[in-house]
Amino acid sequence: MCKRLLLVGMLALAATFLFPGVRGAAAVPTIRIGINAPLTGDIPKVGEGTKYAAQMWLEDINAAGGLDVGGKKFKVELIIEDNESKAESAVTVATKLITEDEVLAIIGPQASKQAVPAGEVANNYKTPMISPWSTNPDTTKDRPYVFRGCFLDPFQGPVAANFIKDEFGFKKAAVLYDVASDYPKGLAEFFKKAWEEINGPGSVVAFESFTTKDVDFSSQLTKIIQSGADVLFTPQYYNEVALIVQQAHQLGWDKPIVGSDSWGSAETVKLCGKDCYGLFFSTHYAAAGATGATKEFIDRYNAKYGYVPDDVGALTWDSMRILQQAIQDTGGLSGDVKKDRQAVRDALAKIKNFEGITGKMTFTEDGDPIKCAVIVRISDKGEFEFYKSVCP
Amino acid sequence: MQATSDKRWFKRLGRSFSQVPLLGWLLGALVAVALEQIGGLSLAWAVGLPKIPVLFGFLMALKKPLLVPSALLYVVLIYVLPIGVIARVSASPLNRLAGKLFSSSLVISVVIHLGLLYATLHVWAGISDYRLLVLKLALIAILLTLSLNVVNGYMGEFSCSHPGFMALGAYGASICTVVLFVDDKLFGSALLPAAIGPFFFPLALILGGLLAAVGALAVAIPSFRTRGDYLAIISLAFMFIVKSMIENLEIVGGPRGLSSQPDWANLPTVFLWTVAGIWIINNFVRSTIGKALNAVRDNEMAADAMTVNTRRTKFIAFCFAAFWAGIAGGLFAHVLRYVNPSTFGIQKLAEVLAMVYFGGLNSVYGSIVGALGISLLGEALRPLEIFKWIIIPLLLILVMIYRPTGLIAFREFDVVKLLQSKQHSEKGV
Repeated sequence: MCKRLLLVGMLALAATFLFPGVRGAAAVPTIRIGINAPLTGDIPKVGEGTKYAAQMWLEDINAAGGLDVGGKKFKVELIIEDNESKAESAVTVATKLITEDEVLAIIGPQASKQAVPAGEVANNYKTPMISPWSTNPDTTKDRPYVFRGCFLDPFQGPVAANFIKDEFGFKKAAVLYDVASDYPKGLAEFFKKAWEEINGPGSVVAFESFTTKDVDFSSQLTKIIQSGADVLFTPQYYNEVALIVQQAHQLGWDKPIVGSDSWGSAETVKLCGKDCYGLFFSTHYAAAGATGATKEFIDRYNAKYGYVPDDVGALTWDSMRILQQAIQDTGGLSGDVKKDRQAVRDALAKIKNFEGITGKMTFTEDGDPIKCAVIVRISDKGEFEFYKSVCP
Repeated sequence: MQATSDKRWFKRLGRSFSQVPLLGWLLGALVAVALEQIGGLSLAWAVGLPKIPVLFGFLMALKKPLLVPSALLYVVLIYVLPIGVIARVSASPLNRLAGKLFSSSLVISVVIHLGLLYATLHVWAGISDYRLLVLKLALIAILLTLSLNVVNGYMGEFSCSHPGFMALGAYGASICTVVLFVDDKLFGSALLPAAIGPFFFPLALILGGLLAAVGALAVAIPSFRTRGDYLAIISLAFMFIVKSMIENLEIVGGPRGLSSQPDWANLPTVFLWTVAGIWIINNFVRSTIGKALNAVRDNEMAADAMTVNTRRTKFIAFCFAAFWAGIAGGLFAHVLRYVNPSTFGIQKLAEVLAMVYFGGLNSVYGSIVGALGISLLGEALRPLEIFKWIIIPLLLILVMIYRPTGLIAFREFDVVKLLQSKQHSEKGV
């Protein structure tokens, strides 16, 4: 017994000398930024886009020898954590990033299901958080420390409605959406409201729904075709878009189908094929025919990871750059993480006309950006072509 | 020669520790966490860690493999060594004390043990809010696992509706507290002053539990005409019905979820509910009904012939299990302060089932071990990202191969045996 104790004690002493305090290394000031991303679970592609965009940003910073804040160079460290696409994990990850890793700010989570509860945590600990992709109003509502990188559904709904009216002059529209998923449902309702304001009550002649993971839409589509609608609006994700469009065409629908930013994935055209050519959707940015900084980002991402980034990647990139801007605007960090978080949040709230690759942004009181939407046409080559830009 | 003497040495060590009463272990743990509170940070720096390793060094060591020896050393110095030394040194006086306490009053003995356990957890979680959150979620997982074990273990049916019951409990309790005590955009302003809220919270939880029990009745009535696979399918259907129902109920937020629950689920509350749950469920499964339940599991017809009212027994057990799942759901909602119907889907079901079968069927110990094991492992292995989902299932497969009923199956949770002085029982042998 005694021998064992002695041995352990000696080992402890030896180890103390072998590993001299890391504290000494803290002389290089470091800025830590947390990334709360769904690397596993339902939407791993979203997590991957987040991670890649963030790592590309870090490369830029490292190439410049660190982040220059108030004339001092800071080393930047990204702490990327997996939230498994679960609400409770997003909360534990946010708590861990804030209390354990003592990050200056958090980027993510992306989906609203995780961003709403994680935003609560960030706000309670007075830590700035930017969700690049979450469209649920609750994410930022009454939370001064939480911001987002994308426009909201109450803006996108009218954008789509106005575009259809201006472009085609139709009077009757049909909507097909997933009732169990919060994003399509919210957007479908905002579209309906906007459409009926333009064309009078009853002008949405079919408002049909289905449930997540349904694959057969023929009964809803038959109803829509019989309703005499001129256009179909379906704010669905890429896997469902392909099925809906193909089935609609098989049932004899030859009128336009319009979508929303959830169409903006590289997978949409891959799954949908020729059926999707010539269709329109509203989104954050258009990859094909992009110019300037946007093109530069797309080309770099494509060269490095082998595919054209979707909107999650672009929005994450913008969120990282906004955060960088805010950190630099503070004019110098004190080293006290609580004070610095407050300074970063104040700087974030003051950002005006930020030139992002997804458009110019200015934050409102609620932490939501005012920015333009883009209407994209899927070209005959299957690329997302810029068609027009709609600003608030 | 060396090997055999080593072996004997281990055996002797094992035997000398087998005489340590539970009181000794708890005291050791309390001292260890107190030491960590006082000197943890400087020790961490001394061994080369940037901070106190929050989950026994797992998170740090997996991110930076170079820190493995430091993390190991820290765990040994802060946890293993103090607990071992104190447990061993204090064994004989504490054995006497435990014996005395035990013979004077069981209630006092239980209260003292629980007090020590709570103090340990409180100090341990006091180091960081992350630990606190992980601990709360793990305690809730224990409650949930135990309640599922009543149906899947003790009753021997395969029920898949537990996430549904949890959802009912979560929404029931949340609606109660949000309607009454919070100014909310869904339900308008608060009806009662917030000051009496914490006292009302247990009532809200129980209401949520009762709602889940009523839901269980809805499954039980049609499904207990069938057994085995059919019950599994009906209960799975029930889970989807609950999920779709909440998704389509605009009044509780629909697919957007329900937020702004008040922050009442602190550690003492969650701890007390978990202890109460373990106590009541343990008494339930050891009572006449519990034994009848086992009889139903082994052979329903034989049980019927032995005058067991099988139908009634199954109803009671099912509703009872659903009640506790509902309580767990209510606590879960108030820890996260946000609920969303998609949380209570297949993924949750797989998680709870894994905890039950990993820990062991028909055993309270097993449920505690399974729930703590899977939830802490899930948290500790997070830095591995996708590989975590290879390691945990692999562990499950190994457990299923080598211990088909789970790690600690078919073991009774006997409070009396647990609290006894260990030397006394040794003499008895």
